[in-house]
Amino acid sequence: MSKLNETDIQGFVLRGYNMPFARYLFLHFEDAGRAATFIHRLMREVTTGQRWDAGKPPSTVNVAFTHRGLSALELPDATLLSFPVEFQQGMKKRAAILGDTGRNSPDSWDELWRDDRVHAWLGVNASSPEALNARCADMLNVMRETNGAILLDAQDAASLVVNGVSTTKEHFGYTDGFGNPDYLGVERSSQPGQGKLTQNGAWAPLATGELLLGYADEAGELPVAPVPHILASNGTFMVYRKLHQNLATFRAYLDEHAALYAGGKEKLAAKFIGRWRDGTPIELSPDTQDQSITQDPARSTNFTFAADPAGTRCPMGAHVRRVNPRDAFGFDGKLINRRRITRRGLPYGTWTPEDQPVNDNEERGVIFIALNANISRQFEFVQQQWINYGNDARLGNEKDMLMGNHTGHGRFFVQGDTTPTNPPFVCSDLPNFVELRGGDYFFLPSITALGMIGMGLVDPR
Amino acid sequence: MPNQNGKVYGLTILSPIIDDEKATPSHDLQIRNYLAKLPTDERSPFALAPATHLARLVVMDDVIYVGMPACEEHLKSKYLIFESNCDGNLTSYLTGLATSIPQHLDAIWSHCVGYPGAANLQAFLDYMKSCQIETTFFFAAVNDKSVPETLRALQTQHAVADFIANHQGAEPALLQSDFNQLLADLKAMPVQKPGAMAPDRDIKTGGRNE
Repeated sequence: MSKLNETDIQGFVLRGYNMPFARYLFLHFEDAGRAATFIHRLMREVTTGQRWDAGKPPSTVNVAFTHRGLSALELPDATLLSFPVEFQQGMKKRAAILGDTGRNSPDSWDELWRDDRVHAWLGVNASSPEALNARCADMLNVMRETNGAILLDAQDAASLVVNGVSTTKEHFGYTDGFGNPDYLGVERSSQPGQGKLTQNGAWAPLATGELLLGYADEAGELPVAPVPHILASNGTFMVYRKLHQNLATFRAYLDEHAALYAGGKEKLAAKFIGRWRDGTPIELSPDTQDQSITQDPARSTNFTFAADPAGTRCPMGAHVRRVNPRDAFGFDGKLINRRRITRRGLPYGTWTPEDQPVNDNEERGVIFIALNANISRQFEFVQQQWINYGNDARLGNEKDMLMGNHTGHGRFFVQGDTTPTNPPFVCSDLPNFVELRGGDYFFLPSITALGMIGMGLVDPR
Repeated sequence: MPNQNGKVYGLTILSPIIDDEKATPSHDLQIRNYLAKLPTDERSPFALAPATHLARLVVMDDVIYVGMPACEEHLKSKYLIFESNCDGNLTSYLTGLATSIPQHLDAIWSHCVGYPGAANLQAFLDYMKSCQIETTFFFAAVNDKSVPETLRALQTQHAVADFIANHQGAEPALLQSDFNQLLADLKAMPVQKPGAMAPDRDIKTGGRNE
């Protein structure tokens, strides 16, 4: 296919901006007319997918809506009812399907997400705190001038600064952000391991319709999308989840079990996730971290699991093997091509070095943002089947070591071999290392669709 | 053999449901009502009767043809569909059902045309076999083991997994004595009942996961 129309697609969809600071503003609309005026005014602010030939701007703005928000904007009923059911319901009502129960259940979410008042997400990314504050002040001005939206709450997020350097690490110490897929038509420096496997072992971009509405997906079908077509086309769906990290629990658990594990603490940490904490895939380098791999785009994501069917290098239940199984299920990886998601988002809270005391109640975690054309088929499937269940990985009822909703009963097997430093090992009584504090499903429209919404021109006929 | 996948038999039975406009509620509704109330744990009829890996009972009202050229087609009657992945040959399996759960079979199939009752075994076998259709292609996720073998394997797997988790780093002498004890315990342990060990998994099925 030819290149996508980057001027019509929000930049947040096509690229991770790679900016270290972000603030996510959550808005409420009180009056449909004034809200539409606000959105119309906002259009000149919204960052598109156009290339930055003149250099990176200091900040970006993107916008997305909950179904409740689109309803508050008084889109026609015929349009509102044509959205996929899971988006109409919102994430809270999907709790049972997602396994968001117990400590992850909506009852324990932050107040913002318990109240059902979030109508829109305004994502501001910036290269410096000054640029972030300035752009957010601009946004508040637009809201005030048009009287079109109320700010309910704001969530700050930022790259973790470790030893004075801005990193792509998260609080448990793992380097994050390797695995985003490539899509047909998206101009991006692509690297092997990021699309789909082909029969000859090479990697190819996924169908555009796995990311964007209005294009054929991996099954050759158009994703389920609202009417009119032009409202949906070049848009996508966004999953927003505030994932709290119980850092004290994680560190204590790792220390306690590393004392029993002959491979050592860092290797055990690497087995949990499938990458050493510096990001080296253990599938490629089972015994040591290797910066020459993580720094090399031709290698850092270029691996498969077929040669490791018993999980002796990368455990069957390791996080990266669960959520992106590549060829682990056979059939040249075809079984996973309709389950891929694109991740955005950043950590929140400040980095605490390992030698400093921490407690679980401190505000820290990851703002998980996933983009996909079909929330139910992509994000929800991964969450339900690959995070909170183990059958596809031949692991019965076991859940993802780090992300699973274990409630203290989980178990994680580290497969091993006869090497003294790679013995089989069992981690039992898994606590919840990560807890959900809220979030929702959003529709992230194209520039054309924003214009239609802003001008009250959405016509389903 | 089209009804056989390794050791597992794939049974498909279609029984026409009695169409009697005087019956209140109608026979299909009476079947639905009975099926809806059946337990799914170890009290399930298919847990009480031997040799069932997985069974499914469905009331099929109609199959409507939609396509080109436009035409309207219907089934001649409503059908009760019985699908089962089971051990053994067809006669022994059906005999096991007739002797273990005749009351359930009669309560369900008495609403079907020509059902003779489970008490007359030969008539019951003849009836069920006459309603059978070829399963052709099916998938039985049971590793080609019988129901007792599968239950025993699961029990062993759980026990061994617990043992390993509880003995990491244990002294060799203790490990050996405890392991010998585990083997003895496992040998003495009765095989658990079918349907009894499904763990709670807080996942809601029936979600719209294509």
